[in-house]
Amino acid sequence: MTVGIVVVSHSRALADAAVALAGEMVTGDGPPLEVAAGLDDGGFGTDAVAIGEAIAGADRGDGVVVLMDLGSAVLSAELALEFLDDDVRERVVLCPAPLVEGLVVAAVSAAGGAPAAEVAAEASDALLAKSGHLGPAPAEAATPEPSAGAEETATFTVGMPHGLHARPAAALVGALRGLDADVRLRNVTVDGPEVSGASLSRVATLGALQGHEIAVRAGGGDAAEAVRRLLALAEDDFGESATVAPPAPVSTGRPIPASAGIGIGPVLAAGAATVAVPAPVPGDQRRRLDDARAGVRDHLRTVRDRAARDIGAAEAAIFDAQALLLDDPEVLADAGARLDAGTDAAQAWADALDEVEGRLAAAADEYLRARAADVRDVRDQVLRALGGVADADTAGDGILVADELTPAEAAVLDPARTPAVVLAGSSPTAHAAILLRARGVPAVVGVGAALAARAREAAVLAVDGSTGEVVVDPDPAALADFRARAEALTEHRDEASRRAGEPAVTRDGTTVLVGVNVGSAADARAGVGADLAGLVRTEFGFLDRREAPDVDEQEAAYRAIAEAMGGRRITLRTLDVGGDKPLDYLPMRAEANPFLGVRGIRLALARPPLLADQLQAIVRVAHDHPVDVMFPMVAGTDELAAARRALDEAVEAVGRGRPADLRVGIMVEVPAAALKAAAFAPDVDFFSIGTNDLTQYTLAAERGNDAVAALADALDPGVLALIAATAEGAGEDVLVAVCGELAGDEQAAALLIGLGVRELSVAPGSVATVKQAVRDVDLALARDLAAAALTCPDATAVRSLLR
Amino acid sequence: MADVDLDTLQRWLRTFAASVAEQKDALTSLDAAIGDADHGANMHRGMSAVVEGLSTPPADPATLFKQAGMTLVKSVGGASGPLYGTFFLRMAPATGGAAALDPETFAKALRAGLEGVVARGKAELGDKTMVDALTPALDALDAALSSGESLASALRAASAAADEGRDATTPMVARKGRASYLGERSAGHQDPGATSTALLVAAAATAVAEQGDG
Repeated sequence: MTVGIVVVSHSRALADAAVALAGEMVTGDGPPLEVAAGLDDGGFGTDAVAIGEAIAGADRGDGVVVLMDLGSAVLSAELALEFLDDDVRERVVLCPAPLVEGLVVAAVSAAGGAPAAEVAAEASDALLAKSGHLGPAPAEAATPEPSAGAEETATFTVGMPHGLHARPAAALVGALRGLDADVRLRNVTVDGPEVSGASLSRVATLGALQGHEIAVRAGGGDAAEAVRRLLALAEDDFGESATVAPPAPVSTGRPIPASAGIGIGPVLAAGAATVAVPAPVPGDQRRRLDDARAGVRDHLRTVRDRAARDIGAAEAAIFDAQALLLDDPEVLADAGARLDAGTDAAQAWADALDEVEGRLAAAADEYLRARAADVRDVRDQVLRALGGVADADTAGDGILVADELTPAEAAVLDPARTPAVVLAGSSPTAHAAILLRARGVPAVVGVGAALAARAREAAVLAVDGSTGEVVVDPDPAALADFRARAEALTEHRDEASRRAGEPAVTRDGTTVLVGVNVGSAADARAGVGADLAGLVRTEFGFLDRREAPDVDEQEAAYRAIAEAMGGRRITLRTLDVGGDKPLDYLPMRAEANPFLGVRGIRLALARPPLLADQLQAIVRVAHDHPVDVMFPMVAGTDELAAARRALDEAVEAVGRGRPADLRVGIMVEVPAAALKAAAFAPDVDFFSIGTNDLTQYTLAAERGNDAVAALADALDPGVLALIAATAEGAGEDVLVAVCGELAGDEQAAALLIGLGVRELSVAPGSVATVKQAVRDVDLALARDLAAAALTCPDATAVRSLLR
Repeated sequence: MADVDLDTLQRWLRTFAASVAEQKDALTSLDAAIGDADHGANMHRGMSAVVEGLSTPPADPATLFKQAGMTLVKSVGGASGPLYGTFFLRMAPATGGAAALDPETFAKALRAGLEGVVARGKAELGDKTMVDALTPALDALDAALSSGESLASALRAASAAADEGRDATTPMVARKGRASYLGERSAGHQDPGATSTALLVAAAATAVAEQGDG
């Protein structure tokens, strides 16, 4: 989040001096800051055109806060808004804060990554410190309400063992919401700054640990009530006293197949061991640390891009979080202070990160604890880059046995060096498991602590990622059995590769299309034998940039994929992002639950120019190649109607008539859409079931949250019933496809075909094997299998039917 | 009555610029009493730039107004910049792209300009601003046109109403702009913005009368 600031003043000298003053408060580069002040001839005055240019110059896509002095500055700034593009104007806030005080606070707030509205709000409160210092305002300045001018003060002591962390802070902010009270909090124990009680992020900055004393100052009509509620909450330990220790992560002790394939080999045990801090190396320590961070940043970007292609942009966001941590100003300040004190770069980084990790690991909040693993990951990566001990966790050859695997670790595993992965915890739907499948590394997860401990001690392990078998120190007979399986599997895959170019036809003659999911032209080329590109994730063109790609650029990208597919159909999914991963040029309101918020088609319809550009690019390509357009996250028929209108407009804008071979479809990811398939059917050519999202919405279990990922099993009979409902609603004329993870599961092919699915779109590496699996299917038997699966009580029962 | 052509509209702006140049010191001294003593100089700088821009003749009235508005916005500096700038910028689309303006269209465009000024400055009648001259002027213009008078005659009525409105600002207490900081002390002084606005309306009357003569 980089909010720009524009200073509008009658006087250039005044503006420059105010900017210099604010600059003293910001370390590093600070936010983009532009000045529009004075007239060209050096006289006093403001110029709306210059202000408009300054705003455009300061805008990095996250909005701009404009601070003005008086009179024409305000009028000119308002007029300047009329000169801006609609999308820029939407994210500009004209802030009524006093210029000097407001600018100082705004610069600090923006440098801290606050969104525009918050920067403006903080700036507007900038006078509070001064008015607080100078004492109560004169009586005549008070508002008419008798109690409004009164200020209430109090103090409380933080009683919770984990301090005022996210959950109690949320309770605090929630308790004050709706009151006519301006509540300010200050950590007296650490002599910290005063922060607003209305802002969760600000309350978090109090750094209030157990035993710290917090001063409360409240103004406004409900000041007394606000203080009363706060003290009552504090007395009650913010509701934390009733909180029992969080349960240990679920460890089923029941091995679950997570990535198909056979792995036999020596054990490479990776436990909780952290990377050792390398010995001091002479040199410019700050430079060494910066170089190491830069290297890790590049690496994370590579991993992120790969993950975005393999598993989608939303999941890849986890690597962005790690990248953010790498540049976290607080962490850098801490490490910097240690460097200044003469500590070696590696030790300074390790100490700074250990402290953050310790704080998070001790937190009662589940999310914060989960972030501790991210911190550890980032810590270790930088230490390795600092020439530390070679990567003991994953660098060696052998079957990796660990409690958990981070996505970053999973993303770089090489099947040639890591024959298999065995995890004590995790689930087949965790990020790490998804990445392992994409990498082709066999894996069994959830084996439990006991089996994992035995496995760590073993000399040799035999792992079957299709059945979930993990055999510790197999006897010769078992070893021979696994080798035979591996051989059969290799043979099966070779056979599949040989026949990749042939159509996938079931034994009884039903053709099932097998497509490839692609995020780039390279993916399209990698999907050897695919009948079509059944899912083109167009997000790749939109990530990592300051502005949206224009029509020409998008057209070129889609055309490259169409050409790579050489006349085979491509299904272009329109931009599918949401508030969990906002794009620089698409500022979005923060959402408490972005997966249930403005994403997919909802976002596209809220940003008509963005959708219009993309559809025009698609239509242009559709004149020359067989193209499907597919709308994501559709929940209602009115959304489809609006999207189709936008498509009609795009056809008109391109001006060459409707491309003859342009088909239209929707993703079925929302359970309601599956159940209403018949209502959508007259207006689509195909449905494509995104089983990943359909599963998480059906089971109300977020895929990215490993604590509930086990629930989010696509083989849950509830999910299968929705697939069956989609196929039933689709009728004869509408093709039903599956483009989620489940489509790539060879064992699920018969089940899906039995449910009525006639197209499977999979990762490039799975095309051949899925085609081969289709060839083994007998439709009548598949229908019986589907009927049986629908009566199963749970995913485990379904899975046992598939074997 | 012929429509107001592009020449006449340009003459309007030249005439207004000439009046402002002539009254520059008077406007500034009015502003010195209750403001920041820059209105005459600012408007003179702005209108000189507008006239300079006329050396490349605009294609139609809409272009003329847009060009004048943008020039004022860039060159005036004080609050008159965005206010007069908005006035002309809002007139531009109200011409509907016509090559010459019939009286109703001209009146409608002026009204659109006034609405822009009100929206921009958030001033109401009686706040001691240019709105106090412009509003009665356009009311008089509309009334005269709807009773069948010629545009020249209607603009004369408008100019008289603007002058009256300007004079009426003298006893007012300013509630907008720099003068509002003076509170009661602003009473007893004629508002400089209303004064320059009266010049603007008078210039229109003069320019259109000349077209009639020609």
